Amino acid sequence: MTGQPVPVIAGEALAKTFRLRHRTVHAVQGVSLAVRAGEALGIVGESGCGKTTTARMLLRLEDPSSGRIRFLDEDITDRRGPALLHFRARAQLVFQNPFDALNPRFTIRRSLTEPLRNFGIAREQHASRIEAALQRVRLLPAAAWLDRRPHELSGGQLQRVVLARALLPGPLLIVADEPVSMLDVSVRAGILNLLRAARDELGLAAIYISHDLALIRYVCERTAVMYLGRIVEEGPTAPLISEPLHPYTKALIAAVPVPRVGQDRAALPILGSLSENSHQDAGCVFRARCPYAVPRCAGETPELRDVGTGRRVACHLALPA
Amino acid sequence: MTLLSVRGLHVHYLTPQGTVRAVDGTDLDVPAGSIVGLVGESGCGKSTFGRALMGVLPSTAQIAAGSIVFEGRDLVPLSERERRHLRWRRMAFVPQTAMNALDPVQRLRAQLLEVLCERGGLSRAAALDRALTLLRMVGLDPRVLHDYPHQFSGGMRQRASIALALALDPALVIADEPVTALDVIVQRQVLDVLRDLQHRLDLAMVLVTHDMAVVAYACDRVAVMYAGQIVESGPVAAVLEAPFHPYTMGLSHAFPDLRDAAAALVPIEGAPPSLLSPPPGCRFAERCPFAEPACRTQPPPLVEVAQDHLAACRRSSAATELRARAMQPKTWAA
Repeated sequence: MTGQPVPVIAGEALAKTFRLRHRTVHAVQGVSLAVRAGEALGIVGESGCGKTTTARMLLRLEDPSSGRIRFLDEDITDRRGPALLHFRARAQLVFQNPFDALNPRFTIRRSLTEPLRNFGIAREQHASRIEAALQRVRLLPAAAWLDRRPHELSGGQLQRVVLARALLPGPLLIVADEPVSMLDVSVRAGILNLLRAARDELGLAAIYISHDLALIRYVCERTAVMYLGRIVEEGPTAPLISEPLHPYTKALIAAVPVPRVGQDRAALPILGSLSENSHQDAGCVFRARCPYAVPRCAGETPELRDVGTGRRVACHLALPA
Repeated sequence: MTLLSVRGLHVHYLTPQGTVRAVDGTDLDVPAGSIVGLVGESGCGKSTFGRALMGVLPSTAQIAAGSIVFEGRDLVPLSERERRHLRWRRMAFVPQTAMNALDPVQRLRAQLLEVLCERGGLSRAAALDRALTLLRMVGLDPRVLHDYPHQFSGGMRQRASIALALALDPALVIADEPVTALDVIVQRQVLDVLRDLQHRLDLAMVLVTHDMAVVAYACDRVAVMYAGQIVESGPVAAVLEAPFHPYTMGLSHAFPDLRDAAAALVPIEGAPPSLLSPPPGCRFAERCPFAEPACRTQPPPLVEVAQDHLAACRRSSAATELRARAMQPKTWAA
């Protein structure tokens, strides 16, 4: 990796196992990924694929069952106390639902002051930092917003406040979990454009988690596709969408409706449903639903391997890109 | 042939703050055997409209004016008893959350039989036969008849909820965001079930959704709703390819398209007006880059702007020019 800057965040062989009363759920298995400054990585997959758990582990909101997390090349997997707080200021989460991300009884000023106080930022800096953050999310003039409470704001305005709050401590990493799914279509673009601008102007590393590939395509240059706890394909977004290599990615892309007429209504290249093969031993996680599966897929788990041009795929049958 | 024809429908919610005009003078036609998408943002009145059609408005809401002519008969003056007789038999409802239609702790078999025997008057043997047919139609394994809905995946629940709605062979199904809560692959499969049923049963459907891509995939016609009113309606192809209303034009650049890379997304700045005291003129005027002074004072009527294509915009005669300007991101800059 010579010449490549150190990743802001990296997960190495992350796994998370939840033990329930009657069974064990392998929510995430062997996930490795890295995001550098100024780069946006999208994690896509269906509900239950482990994308949110992966992000929560990277943010140290959830302890991994195994694997390591590195922040600027420093292992932070076991950080506690003040050292963890220091990391939290540098790695911020943008919540999915702006309607319950802010305390309804707090003014916007108070909601924005809280993180500054928590992270020990000098009082004299509060006003100027808050003004700069509101400016960045285009809530202007800042003074007009500070004394309002959440119920006076629309969903789009609330999400701008949530984004401003995430930017306040001066993070190097932003993780956004379905950042616009609760918002009306007409205002989603505004939030996505702000996220893009914040990343470009501040040189942040960003991770977007979404089930919406079209959204990921708009904001991420790299995408990881997860299925049943594993990354099955990863690479630059544009070729991943135009020429998907993994059969699951193919099915996922074929399923996305587009807002235009004359679209392909051919049957999806996928068998059965998710619930039918959630138990897993050896072999490919996708094999039961894969129309191309061969005997090898049942016996041998495909590793996520490099297939050239920055692409990785976990499929025995995939050819080099 | 028109199966359902709504004219001048007004639905009001009586709240302590005043009257909310959730549906405010709305016209809609649903031809027999076609799927009509009713698309709009949250709070535009689309769900209230769907509930008014079904006759299942909450107690705080009332139909203040208008007619809902279904199979040649106006439903508005009917008694609750008469409405109840039509529900399920002639028109049925598929809610967003299937669990609102299914009882999680009662086997699917019991729920289907209850509808088929008690409402439909079928014998138990005939009802069981019909139940199996219904499951096949929605692509469910007959074995799930003996399972409880809480054991089902999201897609199975939605299929079961569709089977339940179709039990008594209705002519019209009103589906409120039927695929919104589903993952994209399951969403596509459920939409394919709906389209397949439309063709096989000659079923008409009103599909309430916020997602224009779902409309483009599944619907024959679309009505775009904004702040309690229909602002544009027509065949899906016509409305998507040559919109006449600036709101429809704005929507088409407001969200990403998977197959169309890199085009800059442009939000429609602002928010819809309050339906407690809507403005006197066009309700979109405040957010519309093409609004003229007259737009703010006189409400535009919904008129035919092309064959079988209606729009409510004073500037519809300049639509070609407006469409070109709507393509430019700077047009929508705040």
